[in-house]
Amino acid sequence: MLNIFAIIIGKVISTLSATFNLGSGSTWPGHIALSSNPNFIRELIIKNSKLQTVLIAGTNGKTTTGKLIQTILEQNEKSVFQNAAGANLTNGIASSLIYNSDLSGNIKKDIAVFEIDENTLPLVLKEIPNPNYIILLNLFRDQLDRYGEVNTIASKWKKALEKISNTTLILNAEDPLIAHLASHLKGVNVKYFGAKTVSDRKFNQHASDSTYCPECGNKLIYKSIFFSHLGNWSCEKCGLSSPQDRFTNSTYFPLTGIYNEYNTNAAVLLTKCLGISDEKITKALKHFQPAFGRQEIINYKGKNIQIFLSKNPTGFNESLRTIVANKAKNVLIVLNDRIPDGRDVSWIWDVDFENFSSLFKNVTVSGDRTFDMGLRLKYAEFGNFQTEENLSSAINQAISKTSKDEILYILPTYSAMLEVRKILTGKKIL
Amino acid sequence: MKKYKLTIGWLYPELMSTYGDRGNIIVLQKRCEWRGIDAEILKFDLGFKISDLRKCDLLFMGGAQDRQQQIVAEDLMSKRSALKTMIEEGVSGLYICGAYQFLGKYYKEANGTKIPGLDILDLYTENPGTDGSRLIGNTIAETSDGNVVGFENHGGRTCLGKQVKPFGKVIKGFGNNGKDQTEGAIYKNSFGTYFHGPILPKNPEFADYLIELALKKKYGSPIILSHLDDSLEKKARDAIANKLGVKL
Repeated sequence: MLNIFAIIIGKVISTLSATFNLGSGSTWPGHIALSSNPNFIRELIIKNSKLQTVLIAGTNGKTTTGKLIQTILEQNEKSVFQNAAGANLTNGIASSLIYNSDLSGNIKKDIAVFEIDENTLPLVLKEIPNPNYIILLNLFRDQLDRYGEVNTIASKWKKALEKISNTTLILNAEDPLIAHLASHLKGVNVKYFGAKTVSDRKFNQHASDSTYCPECGNKLIYKSIFFSHLGNWSCEKCGLSSPQDRFTNSTYFPLTGIYNEYNTNAAVLLTKCLGISDEKITKALKHFQPAFGRQEIINYKGKNIQIFLSKNPTGFNESLRTIVANKAKNVLIVLNDRIPDGRDVSWIWDVDFENFSSLFKNVTVSGDRTFDMGLRLKYAEFGNFQTEENLSSAINQAISKTSKDEILYILPTYSAMLEVRKILTGKKIL
Repeated sequence: MKKYKLTIGWLYPELMSTYGDRGNIIVLQKRCEWRGIDAEILKFDLGFKISDLRKCDLLFMGGAQDRQQQIVAEDLMSKRSALKTMIEEGVSGLYICGAYQFLGKYYKEANGTKIPGLDILDLYTENPGTDGSRLIGNTIAETSDGNVVGFENHGGRTCLGKQVKPFGKVIKGFGNNGKDQTEGAIYKNSFGTYFHGPILPKNPEFADYLIELALKKKYGSPIILSHLDDSLEKKARDAIANKLGVKL
């Protein structure tokens, strides 16, 4: 009875929020449902025993991987729902259950794909104790003020995973902390994915976190590095090494960047596990449209803008590397320091801007911490960049320097991406 | 004009560099280079040679994750006497967060385990565990040479003994322990602090002060650094001060 009430309230709120463009519809209904019944998620999952569940966690790539999976499945006549991108705490999951159930809590979809915040994964595994699949993508340093250290997160995950059964774990073989998560688990099925493209070594990288053996603490040896600490690793002391039996060969990659090679291989491996043929997967991937802010292209005032969400050192390095490969000339960097971005912006000093100092024609900097980013570029000896605190003005300045046949690449942190999109499209998304 | 040169030692750049602390090295290096002072950066990783460390005119060490800090602790203990001699001789140095804690007598973990420190600076650190949260946020401290702006994020509470002076007095934030308003410690030409951010980009005067101390020690007389345009630095400082409602 309690749940029916929560579902009705939730549905009313989401309608109001959509009607009035309040932009909080993806978390509030769930928040209210969980306040009236803390077991709301568990009860709905138990009630819908036929619903298959996929959990996706990792620092970078959750939203894109989820979107890739959804695309492949929907193109193959499966009905799928996801929590709204970025609404990846328990309230976001509960909200998505409310939207997709009838008033008695029945869900008539085949598969639920949830992206889960790193810190929330142990909590979610209490509510969804035996998901069909868990995809763990990577662990990079991100928002140390909020998340703590990557090793701390890995050990929390490890503990939470000890309780699961009948789950298939899909793990990144090339991230030592991730690959090692399954090493002492019993009764779970484990599959690994990886990448094929070898890093362009002219960009040396500073932002690595996990170069020490997760088993014995010795320094790891890398035969090849894809980016950051991802690669073919092994430990000379205890003999641990990256699992060689890994899936790396999706036949089609809809997005550029090595990080998207990982995301795509993870999504393809999962859908293969669900019984979809390679041929059908490839065909479906050709219909893929990027998630908002993730290489999304928006036309604005007759010019093309492409947004590359860049929210931590590794993500930022990869964004820069990818836009350089796309011959980018015009770049706008937007650095915010709100809770979703992390209040601490010191991570920008771990981005290897030095590798890119002379590669762009026009660089503009904006956001809450415009001048911190400006200082970063100054000390990386970027010759000529503009600082403009007002985001609308910054976009207009950057656009005016971009010619019709060029693209303006915007690299924003999370909340900055939402702001940029709101300016460009006039709509809120979260 | 005489050509000056500084050798800057970066202790454990791989292991002790979690919060953008390498920004401090970049700033020291560039502010030397922009003035025509040669700045050579020597990196010291696990198992480094003490004779190389002795070549340095300025030392820097950053903070790290707990696990990496344990690995470093073992290595550093074996180099204690060399580091102590250099600090006592007045080699200038900047030690952030975990490195700062290392220099003290001990670090008491949340579970009560006492990890011995290098016992070079008269201070100790205790982590209150579940009784206290981490001290996190933008912070400003008043020092004898003006206000210092940064970001702190630490679980340990540090208490200073009589042999060291505080680096500054906290205006906004928590500082050493959230209680006595002290922030960091100064001993001879060594500076320990909880300020990340990283500290030097937004505090160019402090960066220059470290460079001056190192040059003075090396060349025997004070050297006046040429002026650099720090207007962008000032804007970045003001942005934080405005956020915290402080006038710099």
